[in-house]
Amino acid sequence: MASNSTSQPPSSDEEEEQEANSTVQKPNSNSIDNSLDAIENQLSSISFTSPIDETIAVVSAEYYHESVSEINDSSLNESYETVGEIRIDNNNSVGESSHASGSRVWMNNNVEVEVEAEVDGGLSSPSSSGYAGERGSSGGSVSSGSGTDVIREVRDNGESVGDDGVNTVDSVQAEWISGKRHADEDDASISWRKRKKHFFILSHSGKPIYSRYGDEHKLAGFSATLQAIISFVENGGDCVKLVRAGKHQVVFLVKGPIYLVCISCTEEPYESLRGQLELLYGQMILILTRSVDRCFEKNPKFDMTPLLGGTDAVFSSLIHLFSQNPATFLHAYTCLPLAYATRQAAGAILQDVADTGVVFAILMCKDKVVSLVGLQKSSLHPDDMLLLANFVMSSESFRTSESFSPICLPRYNPMAFLYAYVHYLDADTYLILLTASSQAFFHLKECRIRVETVLSKSNVLNEVQRSMSEGGLHIDRLPVDLSARSGSLFHQNQRRQPESVVGIIGGPAGLLHFIYRSIYLDQYVSSEFASPISSPSQQKRLYRAYQRLYASMHDKGIGPHKTQFRRDENYVLLCWVTQDFELYAAFDPLADKGAAIRICNRVCQWVKDVENEIFLLGASPFSW
Amino acid sequence: MPSRRRTLLKVIILGDSGVGKTSLMNQYVNKKFSNQYKATIGADFLTKEVEFEDRLFTLQIWDTAGQERFQSLGVAFYRGADCCVLVYDVNVQKSFDNLNNWREEFLIQASPSDPENFPFIVLGNKVDVDGGNSRVVSEKKARAWCAAKGDIPYFETSAKEGINVEEAFQVIAKNALKNGEEEEIYLPDTIDVGSTSQQRASGCDC
Ligand SMILES: Nc1nc2c(ncn2[C@@H]2O[C@H](COP(=O)(O)OP(=O)(O)OP(=O)(O)O)[C@@H](O)[C@H]2O)c(=O)[nH]1
Ligand SMILES: [Mg+2]
Repeated sequence: MASNSTSQPPSSDEEEEQEANSTVQKPNSNSIDNSLDAIENQLSSISFTSPIDETIAVVSAEYYHESVSEINDSSLNESYETVGEIRIDNNNSVGESSHASGSRVWMNNNVEVEVEAEVDGGLSSPSSSGYAGERGSSGGSVSSGSGTDVIREVRDNGESVGDDGVNTVDSVQAEWISGKRHADEDDASISWRKRKKHFFILSHSGKPIYSRYGDEHKLAGFSATLQAIISFVENGGDCVKLVRAGKHQVVFLVKGPIYLVCISCTEEPYESLRGQLELLYGQMILILTRSVDRCFEKNPKFDMTPLLGGTDAVFSSLIHLFSQNPATFLHAYTCLPLAYATRQAAGAILQDVADTGVVFAILMCKDKVVSLVGLQKSSLHPDDMLLLANFVMSSESFRTSESFSPICLPRYNPMAFLYAYVHYLDADTYLILLTASSQAFFHLKECRIRVETVLSKSNVLNEVQRSMSEGGLHIDRLPVDLSARSGSLFHQNQRRQPESVVGIIGGPAGLLHFIYRSIYLDQYVSSEFASPISSPSQQKRLYRAYQRLYASMHDKGIGPHKTQFRRDENYVLLCWVTQDFELYAAFDPLADKGAAIRICNRVCQWVKDVENEIFLLGASPFSW
Repeated sequence: MPSRRRTLLKVIILGDSGVGKTSLMNQYVNKKFSNQYKATIGADFLTKEVEFEDRLFTLQIWDTAGQERFQSLGVAFYRGADCCVLVYDVNVQKSFDNLNNWREEFLIQASPSDPENFPFIVLGNKVDVDGGNSRVVSEKKARAWCAAKGDIPYFETSAKEGINVEEAFQVIAKNALKNGEEEEIYLPDTIDVGSTSQQRASGCDC
């Protein structure tokens, strides 16, 4: 039921690793290996323009102000600006011996790779909507003005068939080693080259800090290549953001002395990959703070790797979440559905301890918030919550005993540590108490005991377990008939036997799944996955589709209100953005448009009807 | 992140075109030599694991192009180097004269925190040529220059015959390491919750 849980074996994740297992080939697969070789050649031998180097920078500077470009509405990818040329060359470099690996950077004209410079206001958003929605209610919160938000069908054309190329490879083997996977690989290994999505962190001197696959030290040559590319463009006063090579994208993110790079052939939008790099950086900051910048200032050859010892699992787990947890692209958190009184009871005791000098008190079950309380006006950014929860869930040691650890919340204060007291109350439910004092362990331990006592007395932990197993919003229970509306999920759930769900395919009008994100609350709620979207790889494919939708809807220059409707071979996707909320819904590919729109209105109504059970209300607004 | 604590050392090789930088590296890493000259374009990167005093190191070797047109790669390549290897050809006077330029260029571009003590090493390569008969720079002269520049270690090498290559890289690793030993102290602050205003003011560009 828990769709976003990290502790599940990430079976579908493997599909990202081995393209070779693919049984369903993409139409234009002119041999996977060719294009892999292309990127490999490119990366191991990126050449810049000769005779001398200024060329790229100059080129991009010129393109800088030219506004873009032709927009293809079914695909964001095509709309990037080409500002420089990078050439593939087939010479390979020297290294052959098993522990030597080589790569090279040089300058030379020819091949085509797109380098995107910092384009301001460049890309316009895809206008794939044949539908326009009415303006949403003017009220600031979800709770206000129910019933006035209605999508209305405007005209009958304008469907855009998505070019969604999400891979449909089914997962083959699911080996989940916490920590580094495939540490024996390096850039000379075939298996390494076939990984569909690489992540690297390196220092501005080219020293490797983290690689998703393979041993960082064996990849030192590759890492040097990446550094040379970034610094070279930087020397020209510019910033390399994206290199496209065949179906591979190489996305760069420069954070002072830290460079982050993603190489992916997953066809995710650039903005999404960049967002993932931002989170990866945030995760590193959570562990170390940005004080590391000072170390690099004083000493550019500073080697961070020892400081991150033993944290491989944290990064791997975050990368896994990129395809399993919509919070990674929605920048919102989600709550465990609970009866209002239950969440109130949890909130009350958390508030109680928060008043004794705890900066934040958070009760979570897996990736879902049970309740959350902050000191005074402090507020917690959803990304910080995601990174914190990932840190806790991926570090085995938290499970075995109560722990006290320095952590940094990058959006709260990236320069300084807070101290986190972490204790698991049961297998999935854990309490995090954050404080500014490194001496507070025993105080926090007392707080935890108080919290634990109250929670078990008031039966909150049992309710949490029950909710985990029963789930919250089941699409087949969507009240289609207005008279059947109920203010509570839980009465409804009690009426229905869980068994009755079996055998029902989808919800009304072919509804398969939805996510509702409340803008004001910084929270989202998603329906439980149901057949036919039941396997992890199907879920991942749907999330990728949502992610693509999200990226297109959040492109620069969107109005306060937008809808998008697209149909492809997998789904009909409907996205509706107002100033109060965003709705992402997936329907059967044959679903009727008009009916789908009606159902979306029902979904919004439903969410509003049960909002005090699926959202944490009354928490201080997250005003970021 | 490697579980065992290993140190990565960034080594830059500089020197005029054709003095044998690539050949030295190739001899050291791959135990191979070729008479054919293929000018390096931009830079080549090789890695080599070495064991030294019971510790494991990875040498990340940046073999740069000696040809002048690549010189402007500069800062990008030199930043954060742990050791810089200066190579000249004992049979070419000019390549020796240029050592000074290479050294200065490096110090300007890399701006190491302690330039006086930054570990350089000088290699006089191609001692095998003509049985030493075509040699124009004497060992004495080379050593004198090294001494004047702060006792830079000096080796006479042949990439072709594999003479002194292993030994030179041992010293490179050792000196790179010595230089890195004064580790940066990493000391993050703790949030002072009393002054709640820091929250957004401190900002975060992430
Ligand atoms: N006899 C002899 N020839 C050498 C030796 N080292 C290099 N060579 C030859 O000198 C030529 C140039 O060597 P490279 O290693 O390519 O020179 P480089 O310094 O890398 O040159 P650039 O890449 O242009 O900067 C090649 O033909 C090598 O075979 C040596 O020790 N002895
Ligand atoms: Mg060379």
